[in-house]
Amino acid sequence: MGTTIDISYWGLGIGMLLLLVPLYFFHRFKTGLVKATIVGALRMVVQLFLIGIYLRYLFLWDNPWINFLWVFIMVFVATETALSRTRLKRGILMIPLAVGFLASAILVGLYFLGVVLQLDNIFGAQYMIPIFGILMGNMLSSNVIALNTFYTNLMREQQLYYYLLGNGATRYEAIAPFIRESIIKSFSPAIANMAVMGLVALPGTMIGQILGGSSPNVAIKYQMMIIVITVTASILSLMITLWLSARKTFDPYGCIRRVFKE
Amino acid sequence: MLQIENLGVRFGQKEIFSGMNLHVGRGEAVCLTGPSGCGKTTLLKAVMGFVTPYEGTISVNGIELSPRTVSHIRHLTAWMPQGLSLPCEWVREMVRLPFDLRVNRSSSVSEAMLLEHFEALGLDKELLDKRLHEISGGQRQRILLAITAMQEKPLIIIDEPTSALDKASTQKAIRYVQRLATEGKTILAVSHDPDFMEGCGRQITIHNS
Repeated sequence: MGTTIDISYWGLGIGMLLLLVPLYFFHRFKTGLVKATIVGALRMVVQLFLIGIYLRYLFLWDNPWINFLWVFIMVFVATETALSRTRLKRGILMIPLAVGFLASAILVGLYFLGVVLQLDNIFGAQYMIPIFGILMGNMLSSNVIALNTFYTNLMREQQLYYYLLGNGATRYEAIAPFIRESIIKSFSPAIANMAVMGLVALPGTMIGQILGGSSPNVAIKYQMMIIVITVTASILSLMITLWLSARKTFDPYGCIRRVFKE
Repeated sequence: MLQIENLGVRFGQKEIFSGMNLHVGRGEAVCLTGPSGCGKTTLLKAVMGFVTPYEGTISVNGIELSPRTVSHIRHLTAWMPQGLSLPCEWVREMVRLPFDLRVNRSSSVSEAMLLEHFEALGLDKELLDKRLHEISGGQRQRILLAITAMQEKPLIIIDEPTSALDKASTQKAIRYVQRLATEGKTILAVSHDPDFMEGCGRQITIHNS
């Protein structure tokens, strides 16, 4: 396969001009999204350039300890982002989220690198950093949806929770309907996406690999595994987060504490 | 069956009640009444462990309520809260809800048995196949009373079970509760309905503190 054609900075600038199209329509229909789009685009450019520099050095040093330090930084940023996108108190979710992200990424990520890819060095930057990055991104978005759904429904449908508890349900049985709803809301899009993959849309990892010079045959295998590991890590991290946060969500009698910020 | 000793509950600085004592024996039906805000529902919730008292003790079947024993005590109780509205679409779904719990799976509940309870409460069997929004508040209340009673629990706690019922349906509900008591079940109810209060073996009036 051929090598990737670089995008020149001039070309990048010309390409960015395309953003004027959505900005025009956002402005035309008074959506209030113009400022957020400009700030978002600027942040994206700065962050990705910085990441580009970090990654260059991470790949250059290729030191397992530094790679793990990078994973910890990703966990910290993901936790903070998830906390800012839910209205829940920090004390309830901070540690459960961080442990959920880290444990799931390590378990699923290292399983993929060590067992599926059978790499000699599973802590090598070239594989570890992108795989952990993609896992973290997916866990973050699915956890935010699931946790928001779980806690909002639990607060809104307290009657159901207490009814079940009062009729002898274990705490797990009483929260099961809420966990079910949060899983459905968070994972349905991913499952629907899986079903039409390759027909309606060509997924990012596959496109990236093909543009990077891999054969389509290799690219589809990676794509399949990426889907499987992201769904697995996302559900694992959600379960760990809910399990660990339960102690602070419920009092010793199983009653719901105040979980949302005032 | 139920022993409440010197119980006190407050929400923040506001004292709801204090020094509450109540003994309810097996097969007894007790109705709590009193003005709004005097703590009737709070007392029921305290028995379920949903409200933590600042003083006193609650014991069910000789077991004192504590974080360690609360799940065991909830295994002994069937609970019908006031104005319960469950997020179910179908009546059947609502009926099944408590029987899907592990603790109730041993309850020998058949459709025939359910319809027997329906009949005692003046409910048509066709109701079972309706959507929840198709039935009246009174029908919903009686269905909930039936599924609370059918759980084979020794202690039944019901909050305003007849608030949406007409006189004839209330009489059926009273006879139904009396039958449960004669079968050995202990009933602790809250009601403002004079007929229902009369129908229970014992009435206790709680006054505002």
